[in-house]
Amino acid sequence: MSDKATAIVIDDEAQIRKLLRIVLEERGYHVVEAETGKSGLVEIATRRPDVVLLDLGLPDMDGVAVLKRLREWSHVPVLILSVREAAEQKVAALNAGADDYVTKPFDATELLARLRAIQRRAPDGEETAYFQTGHLAIDFSGRIVTVNGRDVKLTATEYGLLRVLALNAGKVVTHSHLLREVWGPNATEQSQYLRVYMNHLRKKIELPRSEPKLLKTESGIGYRLMLAEEK
Amino acid sequence: MTVDGKDYAKQFRRAFSLGREFVWAGAFVVLVTVISLAIEPFTGYLSIALLYLLLVVAAGLKFRRVPVLTLAAVSALLWNFLFIPPHLTLYIHSVHDAMMFAMFFIVALAMGHLTTRLGRSQFLERQREQRTAALYELAHQAAFAPELDAGLRAVVAHIESIVDAKAALVLRLPDHSLGKIAHPASSFALSEKEQSVAAWAFSRRTPAGRFTDTLPDSEALHLPLQARTAVMGVLSVMPAKDHAFDISERELLEAFAVLIGLLLEKDHIAAAVQRAEILETSERLRRAILDTVSHELKTPLVAVQAGLSALEQQTKNDHAQNETVGEIKIAVRRLSRVISNLLEMTRIEAGVVRPKLDWSDVEEVVEGAVELAGDALSRHKLTVNIKENLAMVKLDHLLIEQSLANLLVNAASWSEPGTTITVSADVSGGELQLIVSDQGPGIPQEEIAHVFEKFYRGAQARPGGTGLGLSIVDGFVRAHGGSVRAANRPEGGAEFQIRLPVETLNENDLELDA
Repeated sequence: MSDKATAIVIDDEAQIRKLLRIVLEERGYHVVEAETGKSGLVEIATRRPDVVLLDLGLPDMDGVAVLKRLREWSHVPVLILSVREAAEQKVAALNAGADDYVTKPFDATELLARLRAIQRRAPDGEETAYFQTGHLAIDFSGRIVTVNGRDVKLTATEYGLLRVLALNAGKVVTHSHLLREVWGPNATEQSQYLRVYMNHLRKKIELPRSEPKLLKTESGIGYRLMLAEEK
Repeated sequence: MTVDGKDYAKQFRRAFSLGREFVWAGAFVVLVTVISLAIEPFTGYLSIALLYLLLVVAAGLKFRRVPVLTLAAVSALLWNFLFIPPHLTLYIHSVHDAMMFAMFFIVALAMGHLTTRLGRSQFLERQREQRTAALYELAHQAAFAPELDAGLRAVVAHIESIVDAKAALVLRLPDHSLGKIAHPASSFALSEKEQSVAAWAFSRRTPAGRFTDTLPDSEALHLPLQARTAVMGVLSVMPAKDHAFDISERELLEAFAVLIGLLLEKDHIAAAVQRAEILETSERLRRAILDTVSHELKTPLVAVQAGLSALEQQTKNDHAQNETVGEIKIAVRRLSRVISNLLEMTRIEAGVVRPKLDWSDVEEVVEGAVELAGDALSRHKLTVNIKENLAMVKLDHLLIEQSLANLLVNAASWSEPGTTITVSADVSGGELQLIVSDQGPGIPQEEIAHVFEKFYRGAQARPGGTGLGLSIVDGFVRAHGGSVRAANRPEGGAEFQIRLPVETLNENDLELDA
């Protein structure tokens, strides 16, 4: 990336687009605006952006439909802009390939942190053998998890969950994504197991009375493993 | 009177057709006799008997019993009179001829009898076929009639044209009892006595009245209109004077009763489906309007808030400007909360709040609520009491989280900064209890009953509230089948308790890896 990173903002509200432009340009992004889903897809195809900000309430196309079309040919990171009530819509968008979401009204700091997290994603195929955030460290090659330098013993399922969350660190991971990754494609209705194991995992890796926590619950959507710098 | 006239006409037609058969039979006898007279010199008188027998058999296939038997007798006598010697007398000379005559007489009568029976059974067969066809035709007509009344009128008219009777329909009322007034499609009105017989047939779901074992001295036959799920009414059939229904007519009437029952049921179901569709459409419409209004109200606010947060970054170093931005931010947040509350309340009142249940960890719900309450709790101490290893519960995470958050914000706004707000949660006996208590002044006794009312604000309320926060809690919790109540704690402070009926699941009931 020689010069500025390009961000495409797809939103039908001109005012929101303009504000996002101000916030993003200040942080060194080159911003391209699109008013509709269709023109947004065209812009993405021609400009090859580094990140896409997509509003779910577009007039011409459902945001989820935009994502599905986009994911047929592009892996560009996508951040969803949505309201709190639309949990189901957000889950559908995340499962259709969006990388994360911010809830309106968002503040600039949160928005920029999310963008950084989804852009940080390693290029395809390249996986790191070691992960660290705050007091938690994971050695993927040896399947070793340490909290403040002390080894923590996790069951296979707990480790599986933590692994998926760590590989997507900083990003939200939906319930169904976790279930699919850890239990297999037929387990997407087994949410009770997910709740129990997440509860166990928390007890093992969170420090007592530590604020903020490492594992954050995204109500009605999924979980997020916080990156240390976001504290 | 017209009905009586029709009866006479029917009788007349029947008598007329019988007379016509006699005339035809006579004509044939004359014809055969003339032919016989012509050929007798060549064939002899015995062959003539066979000619007459042929005539009897032929007539038996075509005519009714009485004309045929009369024809047989007349043929025998004519044969005797004209052809058996001595001619032109009924006297028979030889024993041989007498035997021949007697046998001819018997054979002719027997043949006449048998062939008419054959003809009759053919006739009945044809009639049955016609009735089946009529029933089919009627079912078709009735099922596709645009209106129920037209369908019923068609059925009644059909019944009257096929069996010799008048028909009346008494339908079920919306409260599932039998009506008192016959349907307008009926062709006679039920007397009080017949009505009670009809009611009996309706409640017992069996035929009653004439030609049945129950109250056979009634004038009409009453058949319940049995449909798949319920009895939809009664078909009452009043036969014409001294007409008794035979088995095939009874069967036909019962088939009609079933048909009418199904017709009514179809109409009933169609009406219910239509009602459901209207409800669904209006709900969809309300949702759409709410979504639009919500979008239109929130979008400018989102722009303002995003703009402020950008401005905050830019004015970081200018204290005075930064303070101004901070004030605007607080005001916008307040406006945003008011709008959210109004929209949530509208959603509750429009009945579009539908809990989406999923397994949840109570701890996560509480954690989410605390986060949602956010800055409102920043100046209070918060204590969370959740038992270890609480069972998982099935609930709508977002609804309950929001409800609990509202209770927390409410507690914070009524108690002094620095005091403690306590959240406790417990699951027992299929019920989740969430309790929020504070160390504020408590709720004046006369206000306790009103705190969940819309726009109700306590006398001591601080500015900034909408009087909707607690109503929303009440609405959400109710939509979830639970209840919320307010009380004062004996040791001081207010306490709000949410009780939700929930499905629970213990960790021990799951198979977990070690």
